[in-house]
Amino acid sequence: MLDPELVADVLRAARRHGGDFSEVFAEERSSTSIRLDDGTVEELTTGLDRGAGVRVTRGTSYGYAYSNRLDRDSLLEAAAAASAALAGDAPGAVVDLTTVQGAGTNTVQRAADEVPAATKVAWLREVDEVARGVSPEVAQVVGIYGDSLQHRLIATSDGRWVEEDRPRIRLVAQVVARRDDVIQTGWDGPAACAGVEFLDLHPPAVTAERAARRAVTMLDSIPAPAGEMAVVVADGCGGVLFHEAVGHPLEADAVDKEASVYRDLVGTRCASELVHGVDDATIPNGWGSYDFDDEGEPSRRTTLFTEGVLHGFLQDRLRAAKMGVLPTGNGRRESYAHPPIVRMTNTNILPGDADPEAIVRDTDRGVYVTGLGGGQVNPASGDFVFGVSEGFLIEHGEITTPVRGANLIGRAIEVMSSVDVVGSDFDTWEGVCGKDGQGAPVGSGSPTLRIARITVGGTGG
Amino acid sequence: MADLRELVGVALASAGPGEQLEAFAEEGLHTEVSALRGEVEGMRFAESRGLGVRVIFEDRLGYAWAADPTEDEVRDVVRRARENAALAEPDEHQGLPEPGPIEPMPELFRPGSADITVDSKVRRALDLEAYTVSRDPRVTKVDLAQIGDSVGRQVVASTLGIDAEYTQTGAWVVVVTLAVDGDETQTGYSFRLARGLDELDQEPVADEAVDRAVRMLGATKPDTARLPVVLDPFAASSFLGVLAGALNAENVLKGRSLFADLVGQKVGADPFTLVDDGRRLDGPGACPFDGEGVASSRTELFTAGRLNGFLHNAYTARRAGNGQRSTGNAKRGGYRGAPGVGTSNFFLEAGPRSWSDLLEAADGGVLIQDVSGVHSGANPISGEFSVGATGLRITGGHLGEPLREMTIASTLPDMLTGITAVGSDFRFFSSVGTPSILIGEMTLAGV
Repeated sequence: MLDPELVADVLRAARRHGGDFSEVFAEERSSTSIRLDDGTVEELTTGLDRGAGVRVTRGTSYGYAYSNRLDRDSLLEAAAAASAALAGDAPGAVVDLTTVQGAGTNTVQRAADEVPAATKVAWLREVDEVARGVSPEVAQVVGIYGDSLQHRLIATSDGRWVEEDRPRIRLVAQVVARRDDVIQTGWDGPAACAGVEFLDLHPPAVTAERAARRAVTMLDSIPAPAGEMAVVVADGCGGVLFHEAVGHPLEADAVDKEASVYRDLVGTRCASELVHGVDDATIPNGWGSYDFDDEGEPSRRTTLFTEGVLHGFLQDRLRAAKMGVLPTGNGRRESYAHPPIVRMTNTNILPGDADPEAIVRDTDRGVYVTGLGGGQVNPASGDFVFGVSEGFLIEHGEITTPVRGANLIGRAIEVMSSVDVVGSDFDTWEGVCGKDGQGAPVGSGSPTLRIARITVGGTGG
Repeated sequence: MADLRELVGVALASAGPGEQLEAFAEEGLHTEVSALRGEVEGMRFAESRGLGVRVIFEDRLGYAWAADPTEDEVRDVVRRARENAALAEPDEHQGLPEPGPIEPMPELFRPGSADITVDSKVRRALDLEAYTVSRDPRVTKVDLAQIGDSVGRQVVASTLGIDAEYTQTGAWVVVVTLAVDGDETQTGYSFRLARGLDELDQEPVADEAVDRAVRMLGATKPDTARLPVVLDPFAASSFLGVLAGALNAENVLKGRSLFADLVGQKVGADPFTLVDDGRRLDGPGACPFDGEGVASSRTELFTAGRLNGFLHNAYTARRAGNGQRSTGNAKRGGYRGAPGVGTSNFFLEAGPRSWSDLLEAADGGVLIQDVSGVHSGANPISGEFSVGATGLRITGGHLGEPLREMTIASTLPDMLTGITAVGSDFRFFSSVGTPSILIGEMTLAGV
């Protein structure tokens, strides 16, 4: 994409006032998105994105500048702008750039750009047909298909030259079900860093049926009860909770700003001893997986908790250097338009040994959560809130009536400490996490688990 | 480097017979500086441009885009948009808007804003952080202290004769504080927007962010109760965002809005008058024309609680029929997508009630200063929501003890009919504006 000599010149220009290191991040990304709504293809869009960002750092301070243009003048201009953040020290050196090979985390068998758009449209038609076939109460179906191929180059003044292609694919079904005045929605959207072979494992028909069943099931829902109670979180959903409530406060930038509830807790037990947690960017074809992060660090599997004891934080280069630890390969950015920040990748609670069905059977009264609609956390206080998109009452060990309008509210450490059973199953959920105005594709996963007591916000009293 | 107009011209010249073609191009410069611990935390410069093309042929729509394209790449974008159109379904309502008169809004551009040097921006950011941590012994650090400004230019032109452009400047100050007492930490947030950095007074933003954090220290979880509730403008603006989705004609036409069948009916209480007005100059969402070159306008969506209609672009107006015209609300998320429907300046009209007046009226109730999970916890189709909230008890007409880990659960119609007063403390949050809102009674769940 760029000539190594030009890149070396840009890295040098960025260090005209010194700094710890400079970095060039360049990318080209082609993308396709198709939206099928009410049985018709509403929009088919193809895009070609291109740009480069130059960063220069000193301690945790940095200057960053980007341009859509990859010619010499534009890149040198960006380097000059980025370096303006540093006051006048002596110019810094650039080490000879050496290619680092990746592990090949995200293999592709059938590349999306070799599949005709008409085939992709046909997948969405199948979503529409299957979802409508689930029930006459299915009122509306939206199918969204997206793929992209991002070619990245990362070069740093300490001699790193990394190139990696990142393929992405996602197929989403959104279904609205209606019975008289009651309207409910259902959603499913598997995603991976892979080629179209991913859809062999997650066929459009299965995605459509799941979304439709969720919407139809929720038509029978009653307002969720409010108050403190036991909550059984189904496999896959617990990962979302773990990501939001625990993962964000473990990001080293929050820790560095003393804005993390976990900042002084490394080496201490701050979750139930049943909780083993990792952040793992090395899972083959995972939605949050890669060979190298967006600073050119190799990806890793980072242990966060063993038996509830906190091991450490997720790091980027700047925070790791300041804390005197190794980077963990968690420096990520949405695109060339953004400087890297500390982000999660695939964040999982590992399976335990309890029979998942027995967890519900042993719960006298509570809520069984099978879908979380996303949430928010204040990393400084650990306060979080999650919308429950699909949940059921548990009565005398049985899953009974579906409930709507529920929220889970609590504080990270208290809630993770009150996990009292962890199942042997495991599932994942793929999403796009927002932080500091940047979106990052992230995976999360968990077994079925029970939180002994947590506040449920609902309208049902 | 070709001017945006030249690129747009190349696209229009590539239109085939029988094709409607629209080219949208934009470019922008954006700077932001944040300070932490007395140093520059980060300085970011962005220079971006791109072009997107909408092709409609035999009632079929296709879209393609490219970042900073050459003239050859512009022709390639047109070719790809044409290919995409061939795969879309014909839709008789597809079509570009006809051109109409557009009143320019030169006030959106502040020529002097380009003269502010990088050094001056660095100094403002450092001053902002230093001032913020000097106000209260419990606030010794910030999570974010940032200033920024931008200049952007948009051009839209079509084979039907639309030909419009404008340039605007923007600036902002944002502060997120951390207040610490023992092992408790609370955060406080505030920001302000203007057309230029010189129009922004930084200190009140810092003061507000400090106050909003400090007053939450010692917060406890309340018992569940039905109480009068005041949503301050921060909290109220979160709910307006959900309403915007339900008033979008695209959602209405597809049966995805709880308001679909309620035009002409009284849905909210008398104090509830909700407006979208792209011509309002003090709002950050002001624009002379929308994402497809239709003049912006004022649309009163609710008048004294009665629903008048919805926000439209050219497509939804045509599909709605009955002589509906575009309200100038075609919205694009930049050049990377075709226009949908969205808000310009979207606001709840201010009322006559002063802040202290509202607190007195809500005695024994709760002031909500922050809600979380609105987008996951509120259903724009059914109108049901359940959101997390933090706030302060209202005792004797004054703010009292802080409260956390609460949820508010209700429905949008119940909330709108429950509004008993709106305040005079109007302000804009990005393109959404609102005063404080008093709601007679809502269920707050704690415990």
